[in-house]
Amino acid sequence: MPVPVTERELLTAAARAAGLRLSAADVLALLPAWKRYLRLVEQLRAAVAPGDTDGIG
Amino acid sequence: MASAKPLTSAPLVQIASLLRRRRLSPVELVDAYARRIAASAELHAFITPPGEPVRREAQRAERRLARGESGALLGVPIAVKDLFATRALRTTVGSRILRNWVPSSDAEVVARLRAAGAIVFGKTNLHEFAYGVSTANPWWGIARNPHDSRRSPGGSSGGSSIAVVAGLCAGALGSDTGGSIRVPASLCGCVGLKPTFGAIPLNGTFPLGWSLDHAGPLARTVDDAGVLFDVLSGGDAGRKSRRAATRGLRVGVLTGSIVESVQPAVARQVDAAAAALRRRGLRVREVAIPEMQWTVATQLVTLRAEASALHARWIRAQPRAYGADVRTRLQLGSLVAAADYVLAQRMRARIRTAMSHVFRDIDVLLLPSTPIVAPVVGERTVRWRSGEETVDGALVRLTAPFNLTGQPALSIPFGAAAGLPIGMQVVGQWNEEARVLAVGRLLEADAPSR
Repeated sequence: MPVPVTERELLTAAARAAGLRLSAADVLALLPAWKRYLRLVEQLRAAVAPGDTDGIG
Repeated sequence: MASAKPLTSAPLVQIASLLRRRRLSPVELVDAYARRIAASAELHAFITPPGEPVRREAQRAERRLARGESGALLGVPIAVKDLFATRALRTTVGSRILRNWVPSSDAEVVARLRAAGAIVFGKTNLHEFAYGVSTANPWWGIARNPHDSRRSPGGSSGGSSIAVVAGLCAGALGSDTGGSIRVPASLCGCVGLKPTFGAIPLNGTFPLGWSLDHAGPLARTVDDAGVLFDVLSGGDAGRKSRRAATRGLRVGVLTGSIVESVQPAVARQVDAAAAALRRRGLRVREVAIPEMQWTVATQLVTLRAEASALHARWIRAQPRAYGADVRTRLQLGSLVAAADYVLAQRMRARIRTAMSHVFRDIDVLLLPSTPIVAPVVGERTVRWRSGEETVDGALVRLTAPFNLTGQPALSIPFGAAAGLPIGMQVVGQWNEEARVLAVGRLLEADAPSR
């Protein structure tokens, strides 16, 4: 199985793993929103620092 | 009996009183609303308009009123968003998938309305599966703003808001997962209450996001919203709010990045609302809640994951049975990793804690319900000095935070821009609906005439 390299291929692979039946056109249509989503999650991850216990020991 | 025609746009409280005193016939009333609905078909407020059985219900209510029976809503026609199950009445959830679903029992909220004597007055249009804020429904019609039919009513409870504002019912039931009561209330110009999470039971309500869903009333006045809330919650916060003291209450006017991008007319009305409350003897000051900058991302991850979990089978088996926008959201939601959902819940806890701290020093928070007035149907982006924002994102930017925290939030019409209503939002401490309604009533009394 080829290793995914582009964002489009990553999305295709993720969709397949999630059991979604997407055409090439579907993948293209989802790509901008998916990239925006990944950016937002990255920002969230940076804001909630790893190891931060939220005050729960 | 009094003519029902001028009463179709009267407050629910007035209609209920006239019915109780037998100055108005429920049959005449439902006939008058039915005529208005027929004349307003282009607004696409209803998926299932009230039919012949409603007239028989009105006749039964008339007999009960004649016998002197009581009920807070006896004979009052209430429109119901088409995601609340109604016994023997089609409930589509705005979808093609459930176009033929006829539930065998009522949702708890519908049962409570009926127990109070209300007439379930048709099923209103909504964004497909309530997953969006335009009510541009691909299967049941693109809903239109009653103030300007080129514009959106907002959503997802768009049909319920239209029905209230256009005088097609006495009050309506909606649901709110990211702003779906308050956004259309703001864009159409009515009162919308999203209560505390859990204050109104959701059994029999088709979910969108389990941890974010709320049911609540849409109404012409704050008093009306209070009466409906008491029926729906089984409590007395609406009644209590009428004698709640407001002098000396501490009002926080929200500042910070989340409210920086709002239309100038909206910003002016926030200042006017703050000034009005100050004149009424409330103590008004500015507050900042920096953690609110994370609410957009936190809400997005949470809702995408929860909605996609609910639709997991259908979105995989029959993706083309969804409209394009909802299909995209659900497909993207299917890709949310468990770790991302956990991350969002950690941030959500932090936002909730920050809100708790702020509410040690204030009693209510004041901010606009929406940063923009009703957009033109199909408009995709709004341009700010800081850059572009999607219309959908802008519409929920100021409402969704309180779905994450679960606090009560009320939208009240307050002023207008070019004839389009502006909505002001009053947010309270958990379970403090009485206080929120009391402050909302002050704003209602001092709202600039449109």
